[in-house]
Amino acid sequence: MPGWAIVSGAVTLVVVAPLFALPASFFGQGEAFDSIARALLPEALRTSVLLALGVGTGTLLVGGSLAALVSFYDFPGRRWLDWALVLPMAMPGYVLVFVVLGQYDLASPLQSNLLGDGLRIPGIRSPLGAICILTGVLYPYVYVLGRSAFLSQSRQAIEAARSLGRTYGQAVRQVAVPLARPALAAGAALAIMEALADFGTVNLLGVQALTSAIFRVWYGAFDQAAALQLATVLICLALTMVTIERLLRGRARYQQNLARGDALEPRRLQGWRAWLAAVPGTLLLIVVFALPVAQLVTWSWETVSEGTLGPQLLPAARNTVILGLITATVAVATSTVVVYGQRSQPSRPGKALARLSTIGYAVPGTVVAVAVYVPLVWVDRHLVDAADTTFGWSIDLLFTGTILGLVVAYLVRFHALAYFALDARMGGIDPNLDEAARSLGADRTRVLGDVHLPLLWPGILTGALLVLVEVMKELPATALLRPLGGDTLAITVWEATKDSRLDTAALPALLIVLVGLLPVIVLVRLLRSGGWNSVADRI
Amino acid sequence: MLTRLLRRRWLLLALGVGLLAVLVGGALLASSRGGDALVIYNGRSHYGDEQVFEDFEEATGIEIELRGGTAPELYERLRQEGEDTPADVLVTTDLANLWRAEEAGLLQPVDSGVLEEQVPAELHDPDGAWWALTTRLRVPVVATERVPEGTVSSYEDLGDPQHRGRTCLRTSNSEYNQSLVADMIAKRGAEATEQLLRSWMANDPDILNSDGEMLAAMAAGDCDVGLANHYYLARALEEDPDFPVAPAWPDQDGAGAHANVSGVGVVAGSDRTEDATALIEYLTSAEAQALVVEQGEFAANPEVPPAPHISEWGDVQTDPIAVEEAGPLLADAVALMVRVGWR
Repeated sequence: MPGWAIVSGAVTLVVVAPLFALPASFFGQGEAFDSIARALLPEALRTSVLLALGVGTGTLLVGGSLAALVSFYDFPGRRWLDWALVLPMAMPGYVLVFVVLGQYDLASPLQSNLLGDGLRIPGIRSPLGAICILTGVLYPYVYVLGRSAFLSQSRQAIEAARSLGRTYGQAVRQVAVPLARPALAAGAALAIMEALADFGTVNLLGVQALTSAIFRVWYGAFDQAAALQLATVLICLALTMVTIERLLRGRARYQQNLARGDALEPRRLQGWRAWLAAVPGTLLLIVVFALPVAQLVTWSWETVSEGTLGPQLLPAARNTVILGLITATVAVATSTVVVYGQRSQPSRPGKALARLSTIGYAVPGTVVAVAVYVPLVWVDRHLVDAADTTFGWSIDLLFTGTILGLVVAYLVRFHALAYFALDARMGGIDPNLDEAARSLGADRTRVLGDVHLPLLWPGILTGALLVLVEVMKELPATALLRPLGGDTLAITVWEATKDSRLDTAALPALLIVLVGLLPVIVLVRLLRSGGWNSVADRI
Repeated sequence: MLTRLLRRRWLLLALGVGLLAVLVGGALLASSRGGDALVIYNGRSHYGDEQVFEDFEEATGIEIELRGGTAPELYERLRQEGEDTPADVLVTTDLANLWRAEEAGLLQPVDSGVLEEQVPAELHDPDGAWWALTTRLRVPVVATERVPEGTVSSYEDLGDPQHRGRTCLRTSNSEYNQSLVADMIAKRGAEATEQLLRSWMANDPDILNSDGEMLAAMAAGDCDVGLANHYYLARALEEDPDFPVAPAWPDQDGAGAHANVSGVGVVAGSDRTEDATALIEYLTSAEAQALVVEQGEFAANPEVPPAPHISEWGDVQTDPIAVEEAGPLLADAVALMVRVGWR
């Protein structure tokens, strides 16, 4: 009975269906690229490719090498760097940009600049500036996935390499890192897709990426066809990146026997090497996290003590958290279904669908919002009519301008995050386990419940956390679909930043970082307690 | 514990059902909340106007719900929602977007003697589909420390080669710039406007996000000349009377300074015309306009003078946007800006 394959296919279709509006824009009225889209496309495409490559390389280098460093070597400060390096995950790119530009903005009412009024970073308003900012906040994806992959490696692999005459460093480079390649590539893929979908950072820096171009034709020219066409180009680009990620994984089989083998003992570094090893991570943290947060705190303190706060702060914080939790739960459920459907009944179409379901992540929130919005409005109309004619009920619009509509948009966009986390984890579970369970008479549902879910649990948590953080940072889709009076913190920051009213943005920005920190801390505790291995050991 | 819990087979089903219940419940809750409020799609969400709306609530007992966004966003949303829109009132920061909404049949005419009295004829639609709240000038500004008085006296002067590498402009995403260019196309013709914009671009301007940021860059010495809405400068000058940037009123012997309008209209799908009209009447009353004027804009209501520190700015020769002609040219304006490389 191909039940699981069908269910997982259906879930994928729901997540992807709205995006079919995008290629459809090439048919019918707007069959050709119109002049605006054509004029914008070359530079935008170049910039987006540059961003993707830059951020991919940057996060892989920064996140991957830090994960390896912390996993295989012991040095002063390692214990706290281990978890602290995850922290920038809570910092959206646009908040970092806000802090950087705020240093510079002499007209802002904020006076308490930590670095004085004169700090300016030449060239920050360029693709390179955007790459640096985005790498600074996106490297944790690679770091977290790499770190968890390294943690689940057994000491025996390294020892085997050493017994074959490799030094410790060589063993790490030649055995441990390649073994973690799928996880590192998955992390970099996340970062790249995030960079491609980024609107806040590039917009605030005036970098003309595809997302900016889409926004421009949509809201400048109201040329939906052109915007949808540009969005299609962006999706193709994202699809190419996903494919490259798969190619990078190559044929690497990465299921490891989690149950056996001893945990790694990082090697203790001595003398100056030990101190040197602590420098890169510490420096990075100071630049992309400690200083910006300190700045946000002082600015917020300034606005609080001067009483220039808006009354909308608390409801905004509450809305943000509620939306994040709901979406995370739903996204984890959909990804589990898709991942398990593909696992229990692998098929080419199923695989293609599963891959397809991740492209929403690379679609800018604005476009997802409208792509979702049009069909939902249609459904809503029919629901209202049906309720009226069939039951004589007069009901409100269910999806239009409600949490439900917003969650659907989030799901289209962030399903990929949970999917990647679960898929990577599922890849680490030996297929022999499934067969063993099946041969003992368990049906597929039971295999999922009894075998996979307990093993997948860390992946589920990781996925849920990634989704939670992203939803709380999400801006453009929220702006369009948010329910009645449902401003989120991101909206508050964005609206104030657009208008250079930095004082209004300071505290909400700090709150975004703090709220975003909560799941990051949970993640950190999980990492520190060795929870991932211990969960696996229990089976 | 968790592992054991997860072994139960019914858990998945229960989880699914529970989720659905929470979602639908939440959505219904959210959509029923504030059902009685007058919903404002508010393009002016950051002008310190909230106070005005609160005052209105207090005075009339009509509950107000503000939903912020840029004018193009709100317009797009109104269009999609059609008849089912929850919005009753549309407030925008420029006239072109209001006109566009009217053209698309999204606004309904309002007939009010009070409004006729408070808003001069040239500041409202003849049929009453839109009413101005404030006017604002988009004019060249100069850094007083580096640019002698009289150097810049027209929009053309922003393209003077002597300012090469020393100009700042706001992004062409800004509806103010789009309206300005559309109005220029309407009045000067497409070719002359393209020439003008190309001369601006030849100066290799820094492109910034907001007028405020641009003024800051000028004060910091990065740029000598720029283009800003007058009230941003008014606010900077109120904060610091020695702020080293001044307006360079353009074309005072000719057409005058480009004037745009922030305005309001009643949404066609609304059945709260009476309350909405009361709101507009309140917003254009001398009492409410006095609060708005504090932020540096000029009141639509002629009884309300400009803020004291910019009182002489009220005498500037202005060139009101020709919205009937400029409105249809907005798309052309965006295309032109893209073509000449205005980011």
